Amino acid sequence: MIKIEIVKGSITPFPSDDSRTQDGAELVFNGRVRATEHGENITALEYEQYEGMAETELRNLAENTVKRFPVHDLLCKHRVGKVKVGETSLHVVIWSKHRQEGIDAMSWFIVELKKRIPIWKWAILEDGSRIPSECAH
Amino acid sequence: MIQVKVKCFSQVKYVLGKDEMSLALEPGTTSAELEELVRNQAQGKLDEVTLRIAVNKKYIPAEIELKNGDEVAFIPPVQGG
Repeated sequence: MIKIEIVKGSITPFPSDDSRTQDGAELVFNGRVRATEHGENITALEYEQYEGMAETELRNLAENTVKRFPVHDLLCKHRVGKVKVGETSLHVVIWSKHRQEGIDAMSWFIVELKKRIPIWKWAILEDGSRIPSECAH
Repeated sequence: MIQVKVKCFSQVKYVLGKDEMSLALEPGTTSAELEELVRNQAQGKLDEVTLRIAVNKKYIPAEIELKNGDEVAFIPPVQGG
């Protein structure tokens, strides 16, 4: 199963699932907003998406990931709009029979997400000004 | 003439100061020619920025001829996550 959501408010994590008897690994990744960007203090990041294309590309990427790696399910929520320092901007859960394929799938999915999904970050500085983030990590 | 919509994001939006533009182009104008036009509008401020092109919300792998009503986005390096 694949589930992709682009959400405008706080991310509610996907629940852990004790009913899975064939999956030995449940991997959870939460990407959070750091307090500094290139040494400068920020109060938040504002995520901008290319509406329509971002969700389609994210779904294509998730489908490619489950084809490429022997994992069962991949669920992803990506937040857009203003995300305060410390809050979650990206939430990914992968279930797999063994841990290694799940870890490999998670790593590949996130690396590819940062290459091709049309989502960008604007840094909100302490004085309230807003500039394109230079960070692609 | 053909009419295309240009969507602007991140550095492109920042430099051009707008979310989108509606442009009238000569029939036969290509994606690469439109990119050159957009870069010229930026007066050098996008020279260091790699831009991928999406037409009607799909990345295009090579230069194409634009059609009336196309939506074109010049996509600077993405930063999701």
